Amino acid sequence: MSAVGTLKSWEAMMLALLVAIIAFNSVGSPYFLSVGNFVNLFQLSIEKSIVALTMALVIIGGEIDLSVASVMGLAACVMAWTFHAGVPMPAAILAALGAGILAGLNNAFWIARVGLPSLAVTLAGLIGYRGVARILLEDRAIGGFPDWFNTIGQQALIGPLTAAIAIFFVLFIFFAIVLHGSAFGRLVYVVGSNAQAARYSGVRVGLVKAALFVGSAFVAALAGILYAARLGSVRGDMAEGFELDVITAVLLGGVSIFGGKGNLVGVGLALLVILNLRNGMGLADITGNTQNYVIGGLLILSVLIPNMWQELTNKWRGRET
Amino acid sequence: MTKFLMGAAALVGLAALPQCALAQDAMATPGKAVSMVLLPKFLGILPFDQAHKGAEEAAKELQNPTPLQFLGPTPQNSVAGQIEIVTNATTQGAKAIMISNNSGDQIVPAAKAAQAKGIKVVTWDSPIPSSEGEDVFVAQVDFSDIGKVMADMTLNLTGPGGGKFAILSASPDAANQNAWIAAMKTALKDPKYAKLDLVDTVYGNDESEKSYTQAQALVDKYPDLKVIMSPTSVGIVAAAKALQDEKLCDKVKISGLGLPSEMLAYTKNGCAPEFALWSFIDLGYLTYYTSYLLATDALKAEEGAKFKAGRMGEYTITKDPTRAKGLRILMGPFTIYNKDNVEAAAK
Repeated sequence: MSAVGTLKSWEAMMLALLVAIIAFNSVGSPYFLSVGNFVNLFQLSIEKSIVALTMALVIIGGEIDLSVASVMGLAACVMAWTFHAGVPMPAAILAALGAGILAGLNNAFWIARVGLPSLAVTLAGLIGYRGVARILLEDRAIGGFPDWFNTIGQQALIGPLTAAIAIFFVLFIFFAIVLHGSAFGRLVYVVGSNAQAARYSGVRVGLVKAALFVGSAFVAALAGILYAARLGSVRGDMAEGFELDVITAVLLGGVSIFGGKGNLVGVGLALLVILNLRNGMGLADITGNTQNYVIGGLLILSVLIPNMWQELTNKWRGRET
Repeated sequence: MTKFLMGAAALVGLAALPQCALAQDAMATPGKAVSMVLLPKFLGILPFDQAHKGAEEAAKELQNPTPLQFLGPTPQNSVAGQIEIVTNATTQGAKAIMISNNSGDQIVPAAKAAQAKGIKVVTWDSPIPSSEGEDVFVAQVDFSDIGKVMADMTLNLTGPGGGKFAILSASPDAANQNAWIAAMKTALKDPKYAKLDLVDTVYGNDESEKSYTQAQALVDKYPDLKVIMSPTSVGIVAAAKALQDEKLCDKVKISGLGLPSEMLAYTKNGCAPEFALWSFIDLGYLTYYTSYLLATDALKAEEGAKFKAGRMGEYTITKDPTRAKGLRILMGPFTIYNKDNVEAAAK
């Protein structure tokens, strides 16, 4: 089976899983099939969904960004801190986005320039950016943001959709075009498949990687601001641990952890699978650890099945020749 | 036959009417189907299981045919998890949500959305700091009392000479622990406690392992530390274990708020000679009773409203002195445990 074929079958499997979950949920709970519930289902994890888009690009590019959740927390804390210091809200938001870009440039410098592995650099980022966030806010919670800001996070703006949900769909289309329809997108796949070969054929690998990490951190900062708007107040531990949920969604979406493989449609489907699964379990009054078991199990399967498939086809071919 | 039944029902109704009119307190009408959610800070620790037990007891007494849902997040995902559970309960059309809030004011938008759907939001154990999105808070004991009790216990353990002590709390944004620490700091201004020196406040996030290492770090950092005061049932056990493992119980004593069954060994071996707590079973019972009364419109969440909560007797809703706009129901009382009474309470 060709690589393209495997991908197609992967998405078909995700789609089948999604349909099964939705069918199961609709039978299981009378509250599942309502506009309000679907909005909630997206809204409750919308920041993670947004970050998953850029995470997909980073992983396809052969790297990983573990610092996204800390950048979310950092951006929210920078925003709250500057606002609390008397700076008008729009300027505080710009400061937060600026902090995100700085964090991204820092990651990019060590990875693309110095050549350190992204796993180590962004792990340091995960700890370091969280540290800055906690130092800024100490043990306080800062709230009392302007009403318009809370409205962005909490109220329906476009039909039943909140701003964050609308932003997710816009970004989804944007990154789908970038990844699948632009020269940069093709470079991401090339670098992710074989960075060495790409370098020898004249691709500016460092630049591609730098763009990925700055983009990732910028989008994470945006997501952090949206999270602050949804909750109406900020504290130092905001979004802690989110990076694992984000990476889970991307891998479940069929993106190879080794880079070079995967697409945004798969990631979109995986997000829908996870969100519907969580929501259905929530409405069935299943919470906490049990939810984690189920989603963890799903991830293990998502890694196992393609590898086992590969092994089986290899054996088959071995017998033929 | 139908007419006879209706007539009988009317008679019963008439007979019941004067009683209602005479009663001053709001009384619960048992047997109404009210879907209720009990939401602890997270699942998996004993106090919340005890509160659940108390709530189930009240549910049985009130003959609520709809089963009580006891739903909670994991400690690592407490904030997002609590918000998710409140939002899902709102979707499901629950009538009352009872929250031990671990999310500070971040729970407010979700709680407000629940209220907008006519759901009663009752907090217990830990309130919503701004009190927005909350009908009433069922307080375990008066927060300023907790401050005094903690100061007294510290002084008992240091002896009249006083000395250095530190606080090991839960998460930095746990509204109840923060209020108690603030109350203790206020109490410490009394000249009686002049020789007590609060050197540090650290946070173990109500995780055993983190609380354990924080306690170790405290004794390393302050060699002449005399007492670690931990106003959380997770922190106090972890700290007592840390000191026992380090064989430091002769030098440093642990105190705070803990469960007799978990503290028994440490109280008997002298690591934690004295600690305090209230009954979480009663807290769950009273919270359920209050929420049932509110959800069945038998009680209004307003200052001065009185009601009867089954075996626990009469309560009044008052202003919450610790929060500007909040309402509270004060449960009380406090029990101080030591080697004389801990064994009986642990059973």
